[in-house]
Amino acid sequence: MATVQICEAEKVYIMHGVRDDLRIDGRACDDYRHMEVETDVVSNTDGSARVKMGDTDILVGIKAEMGRPRPLIPDEGYLEFFVDCSANATPEFEGRGGEELGSEISSTLYKMFQNRSSLDLRALCIVPREHCWVLYVDVLLLQCDGNLLDATSIAVKAALFSTRIPKVHVSEDDEGGKELEISDDPYDCMRLQVEDVPCIVTLSKIGHRHVVDATLQEAACSMASLIIAVTHKGNVTCVRKVGGGSLDPESIFEMTETGKRVGKALHAPLMKLLQEEEVLGKRRQKVGFLG
Amino acid sequence: MPVDTRRVRAPEESQCPLLFVPLLPRGPLRTVAQPEKARVDGRQRSQVDVRPVFARCGLVTQAKGSAYMEAGKTKVLCAVYGPRESERKDDTDMKAGRLVCDFRYAPFSCPKRGTWIQGSEERDAAQALQEALRPGLCLHRYPRAQVEVNVLVLEHDGSVLAHAVTCASMALVDAGVEMYDLVLGCALRQDGDSYLLDPTLAEESGGHATQPEDNQGGVTVALLPSLGQVSGLHADGELRDESVSAAVRACMEGCHRLYPVVRRALVYAARRKAAPPGDSLET
Repeated sequence: MATVQICEAEKVYIMHGVRDDLRIDGRACDDYRHMEVETDVVSNTDGSARVKMGDTDILVGIKAEMGRPRPLIPDEGYLEFFVDCSANATPEFEGRGGEELGSEISSTLYKMFQNRSSLDLRALCIVPREHCWVLYVDVLLLQCDGNLLDATSIAVKAALFSTRIPKVHVSEDDEGGKELEISDDPYDCMRLQVEDVPCIVTLSKIGHRHVVDATLQEAACSMASLIIAVTHKGNVTCVRKVGGGSLDPESIFEMTETGKRVGKALHAPLMKLLQEEEVLGKRRQKVGFLG
Repeated sequence: MPVDTRRVRAPEESQCPLLFVPLLPRGPLRTVAQPEKARVDGRQRSQVDVRPVFARCGLVTQAKGSAYMEAGKTKVLCAVYGPRESERKDDTDMKAGRLVCDFRYAPFSCPKRGTWIQGSEERDAAQALQEALRPGLCLHRYPRAQVEVNVLVLEHDGSVLAHAVTCASMALVDAGVEMYDLVLGCALRQDGDSYLLDPTLAEESGGHATQPEDNQGGVTVALLPSLGQVSGLHADGELRDESVSAAVRACMEGCHRLYPVVRRALVYAARRKAAPPGDSLET
């Protein structure tokens, strides 16, 4: 993982700041950094989004392809996640260096969507047992400055919001064979319901308190963090403890409480922003990635 | 390749028919309306009712330390090698030792046959195991060294990760690796308003596809019992947040139930090791 080396004096400085609810960049303990979200940034995809959170920059592209439903769940489509750690972000990711981090993020994303309410996968089914849509969600880490998971989950939600899947008409011929006809009208498309898609909140334990959205320096001071995926209703779809330390049970309860509050507060502005951007349509001025 | 047209060729990939039979035929998991009703194996819902556990140390004689554990039909075997010289020399942080975990299901351990190649589920479990065990070990005592923990699941009947954590920490004790505390694991399946502690495989996977109601999910907790610290926490599914806290509490209670059994097994193993030749093992 992209990490920084900081000295003891710096650690003490950061920890004292956190104790007094004032972090090195002036935020309080449960504040996020400034965030920028833009959808439809890559024209070749069916849906894409770019999220910039501080210096963390993430690009997500979604491609819909037709596939066979999984034999055990014949009436649902499915999502495939792939996280690519670009060596542009940090030289450590060169070659296979980023593989471990990538698979860790993608497995968290799989878990986050592994329940019935996150996304209506039945909408992705075309013909049960035969055809369904498979959404390939490709995450590209362009710059890493801490808190990759939160930024990734927001980018995935925004990209799913902007995803447009062409409608498919199924007709049956006389011999019972099915014929699929994909609409070529770009406006005749299906949208996904992303209301219930959860967002991840990472809480890092620093000293006796915990902070939201830790920067790399702050992450270096933290022994253990808790990842919580929260839906807009406040339901928890995934919890993980990460890092080498252990946590006090009381602080776990406090952290879930904070995670739920912060997560719920994250959803409403994000949806509003996405809808506003949608209304602007073609008049919107595009910024593009790394912009 | 020439195709023999007189034969009916089998499909390219085939599935075991048993997979399509629901694990619980209109199962007992659907008795949410009567939460007082007992589980299939007679245990109580919403109570700290773990399966009886059998634990032994030192079965793999070649390894530095090993442990074997059974809980109901779940059977886990763990061997610990090391501390020995670290394989990775490029690691910047050489002041502390490394903990390397490997987690595998035997191909015959699950209802569906697995392969020997490590799948993503096993890699996730290995990662979770590493993070749960790490806080219990005094790795700073082993600079430039690595400790290897290998877990093999012989039979999968639910709560595998939790029992793997317990078994691995027993094997680490048996290997004489310095530790702050034991690490005990306990799993829970939340089913509506009630919970099932230490679920079997049927309880773990049942209900997921058939029940639309909310608050379904699984929680696994790893606990350092005498320090009272939680070293690992994994939750999936969709849970209300108050049930997350309740589930963590119940799992911690479940870990404490396990503690005396594990301790007795460790004392027995230590006695057997220390026994002078010819002395009887009866204690």
